[in-house]
Amino acid sequence: MNTLNTCHVSLEQANLLVGFLEAGQQEKADELVAEIQNPINTELFAEIGKLTRQLHDSLINFQLDSRISDLTKADIPDAKERLNYVITCTEEAANKTMDAVEAVFPVMDTIQQQIQTVNPPWSKLINNKLELSEFKSLCIDIDILLTNTDKQADNMRGLMTDVLMAQGFQDITGQVIRKVIDLVREVEDSLICMLTAFGISEDKTLERPRPTLGDNLIEGPIINTKGRDDVVENQDDVDDLLSSLGF
Amino acid sequence: MLEGTLDKNMKVLVVDDFSTMRRIVKNLLRDLGFSNISEADDGSSALPMLQNGDFDFVVTDWNMPGMQGIDLLKAIRADANLAHIPVLLITAEAKKEQIVMAAQAGVNGYIVKPFTAGTLKNKLEKIFERLG
Repeated sequence: MNTLNTCHVSLEQANLLVGFLEAGQQEKADELVAEIQNPINTELFAEIGKLTRQLHDSLINFQLDSRISDLTKADIPDAKERLNYVITCTEEAANKTMDAVEAVFPVMDTIQQQIQTVNPPWSKLINNKLELSEFKSLCIDIDILLTNTDKQADNMRGLMTDVLMAQGFQDITGQVIRKVIDLVREVEDSLICMLTAFGISEDKTLERPRPTLGDNLIEGPIINTKGRDDVVENQDDVDDLLSSLGF
Repeated sequence: MLEGTLDKNMKVLVVDDFSTMRRIVKNLLRDLGFSNISEADDGSSALPMLQNGDFDFVVTDWNMPGMQGIDLLKAIRADANLAHIPVLLITAEAKKEQIVMAAQAGVNGYIVKPFTAGTLKNKLEKIFERLG
């Protein structure tokens, strides 16, 4: 009576079953049903057994994969540190640059003031209207102006060099960020492996998902505005949007 | 220097969680002639400062961890003593919905980052022109 997978019950068995039931022989009928089900059940249990074993193996492999554990214990905390370092680095660079800028403004103010002191008597001299008594004072002022400007030119050159050097952060932070990108790629690959192991297929035709938003739709600086129609690209767009709404 | 009847002694509060941005805005305002400038590093620290001081103008970022700029704006407009203070948002948040949200909450100007000194001057002039 054991038949192929595709054929779970025969006409013979069915007739026998009906016979038992019509004769009120419930026990015999139940026994027969159990007998029919037996190969089905055996098949089913075999399938479940196979799947359980596969799942078990996948989980064991997953746990044994030291990369996963390394990622959690070392690489991700390391990545967080690196990104914090980038913030610190860029803050330092910004402050150094602004220090130089703030130092330059008063220097230029002084030079301009000195030029403004000298200009009126100088103009008079040019127009041949300068008194001799004023001439000496003019010479002294021009001398001061020349000496100071010369000195300040050196000073400004130094400050501009400081600004130049402060841009060195870009190279360092670039390298650090690259390392973090590598890590993210690895985590991404591991996650995809995990999804595959659990039989979830990766639908490559899905649209790039939108980034997660915080309270009040907060998203932060938008790196790539291509293909988005919910975003403005510059101040002109902002102004147009506001005036179109009557603000 | 800004033209008009703008009071150069006006008390300004600059709010941003990044000190470098506060410094930039402060410098730009100084360049425009404003020297009475205070700073706060979050909406939550800015609000008590506003309630205790006589501020005439607020420049704020949106994305701050404690209290966001939009919520600071709403709190200012909801407080009878503060509602009159003009508020300028300077932020990287660039979604149209957010811009409309801010306008409806009563913001006086919205500048997106990165921005120029010229834009700041321009917006300040517009804000005080409208009020004056």
